[in-house]
Amino acid sequence: MKSKNIYKPIKAKLTEVIDESPPIKTFVLIPEEEFAFKTGQFIELSVDGIGEAPFTPSSSPHVTDKLEVTVMKTGYVTEIMHKLNPGVFMGIRGPYGRGYPVETFFGKEVLILGGGCGLAPIRSLLYALEHIKDHLEKVILCYGSKTPTDCVYKPLFNRLNNTDKFEAYRTVDKPDEEWSESVGVVTSLLNKIKVNIANSVAVVCGPPIMMKFGTIRLLEMGYKEDLIYLSMEKNMSCGLGKCGHCMMGEYFVCKDGPVFTYNELKNTPDIWK
Amino acid sequence: MQQYKCIKKEEWDKVLEQLLVSHTIFASTDSEFGIDYELVTPAVISRIIYNKPKPATPLKSFYLPVRENVTSEAGGAKPRIILGIPNCDVEGLSLLDEIYLDKEFYDVYYKKRRDETLMISSDCFGIQEHCHCLSYGIKPFSTGNADLAVIKLEGMMIFRILSGKGEDFISKIQGILPLTDKELINIIDKEHNSTEALLKEKNKGLPDYKKTGTLVTEAKKEIWEKYSATCVSCGACTTICPTCTCFLLIDKPGFEKVKQLDACQYPGFERVAGGEDALFELHTRFRNRYMCKYAWKPEKFSSIACTGCGRCIEACIGKINKNELFMELI
Repeated sequence: MKSKNIYKPIKAKLTEVIDESPPIKTFVLIPEEEFAFKTGQFIELSVDGIGEAPFTPSSSPHVTDKLEVTVMKTGYVTEIMHKLNPGVFMGIRGPYGRGYPVETFFGKEVLILGGGCGLAPIRSLLYALEHIKDHLEKVILCYGSKTPTDCVYKPLFNRLNNTDKFEAYRTVDKPDEEWSESVGVVTSLLNKIKVNIANSVAVVCGPPIMMKFGTIRLLEMGYKEDLIYLSMEKNMSCGLGKCGHCMMGEYFVCKDGPVFTYNELKNTPDIWK
Repeated sequence: MQQYKCIKKEEWDKVLEQLLVSHTIFASTDSEFGIDYELVTPAVISRIIYNKPKPATPLKSFYLPVRENVTSEAGGAKPRIILGIPNCDVEGLSLLDEIYLDKEFYDVYYKKRRDETLMISSDCFGIQEHCHCLSYGIKPFSTGNADLAVIKLEGMMIFRILSGKGEDFISKIQGILPLTDKELINIIDKEHNSTEALLKEKNKGLPDYKKTGTLVTEAKKEIWEKYSATCVSCGACTTICPTCTCFLLIDKPGFEKVKQLDACQYPGFERVAGGEDALFELHTRFRNRYMCKYAWKPEKFSSIACTGCGRCIEACIGKINKNELFMELI
C-alpha cells in the first residue's frame, strides 16, 4: 500500500499560457515533484482555493519535466484558470485511470476521430504514436471543429502531414472565406480516407454528440466493438474510484476508464449524456 | 458450538468506567429521541441498552465524518470503542472497507479510524418495523467482521469473540470467565431463532439480494416515476444509509481539500461543466440509487451494498418504501 495522502495535490508552477482558440488555452506546468503519466490518463488540476477539475494532459507522455494541459473555458473553475498568469502555482493530483493501450496498436493502422477540445488528449496520443511510429502501419487523424477559429493546435496539422506514416484532415461546420479544407461534420471526413479496417483500431474523443455519431459510423464501416476506443467525460471529483460522481453503470470512469472500448460500454445506458 | 465468555453486568459496568480513562466510548442508548449512539460518560453507563435494534445513526458516521479536511495530518486521538452495533451496520462497513482500504488508493483517515476502533456488535433480539437484513442474507447477529458480539442475559454480559483484536481485548478484562451454563446458551440460540422467524414472517415474499439486481435493471420507467413522485431530493436515504458513501472534494486556500458527504439524490450530482447531466430528471436520480445498490455495486465489489437495515424507509419524508417497490417488481 502507498502511504501517501491520496487527496493531497503536488504543486506545479505555471510557466506559460498558450492561446489555442478564443475559448481554449494550453497551460504549461512544471511540477515540483516527479510526475509521469501514460497517454490518455487524466489528472485533477486545481486552482488554489477555488476548485479542481479533471483534464487529460495534451503533452507527450515521454516529456517528464513539464506538462501541458489544454483547457476550454466552460465552467466556474476553468473561467478562473483562463485568468491565470505565468508564475502562479497550481495543484496536480494523479495521474489517474486507464489510458490508451498504445502497446496493443503495434503493427496496426490507427484511425483517430477528434472534435473540438477533444483534440487535447488526442494530441498527447499523437505524440505517443509518433514515438512508436516505426511499429505502426499508419496513423490517420480526422478532426472537426465548429469554425476555423475554433481549430486548436494549428501548427500540429502541418507537422503531422509532413511526418512519415501520418495523415491529418480537418473539417469545420461553418467555413470562413480563407478556409480551403473540408466542410461538414467530422464523420464526413471518413469518406475521404483510405483505411484497412481489418488491421485497424479507432479512437474517438470529443463532445458527446460527436462521439455518439462517430462511433455509429465506425461500426457501420466495420470496426470491431472492442477496437473502438472512447475517452469518456464525467464529473470526476476524486479520481480514486470512491466519490461516486463518475459512476457509469458498474464502472467508475475515473478508475476503470476514462478510456474504454465501445464493447465495454455498449450495454450501459446513457453513455452519451 | 460457539465459544462464549461472560462477566456479571455490574462488573462489566465497572470495566467500562475504567476504560473511559484510556478510551472514547460510544454506545447505543435509549432516550426520548429514540435509540441512538451516545458518547459514554460514567453517568451514561447505566443507560446503555443491549440487544435492541437499532441506533438511528449508521455506523459509517464514525468512520466518514460529514465534513473533514483530508489534507491536514490525521490527528492522534484516544482509541475508540463502539458498543451495540447491529449486524446490518457491521456488514455495511465491509463495503466501505473495500472502497477506502483499496490497495491502490487507501484513505489514511479512514484507515486510522478503523485501526483505532474496537467494534462490539450487539445481537438483535427482536426487530424494528422495517428490518429486513435476513432477506439479504445477513443474520441479525454478528458472525464476523466485528471484534466482539455482546448479549445481556439474566444479569450477565456474554461475549462472542469474532477477531484477534476482540480476543486481545477480552483477555485483558479481569474476572471474565468461559460461559459454561448450557441453559444460557440455549436461550441465546432460541433468541436468534425467534428473531430470524420474526424477520421471515415480516418480510414474506421480499426478493433476496441476488434477485434485486435483475429486478431493478428490468424495471420500466413508469415504476421509477411512480415511486419518485413524492421524492424531494433531500438525500435523507443516502445520509442514513450505512453503505452510501459518495462525497465531493471542496478546495480551500493552501491547496487544502475538504471532503464532504454528497448524494446522487441531489440535483447536479453528475452535471459536468459543459452542462450535460445524466441524472437531470428526478426519476433517473431516484433510479440511480437502486441501480447502484442492487445492480452496479454487486458487479464491482464482493460486499453487500444494501444490508436491509430499513433506515431509508424510516427516514423518507415522502414515505417512499423501497420494499413496496420491490414487491411490485416481482
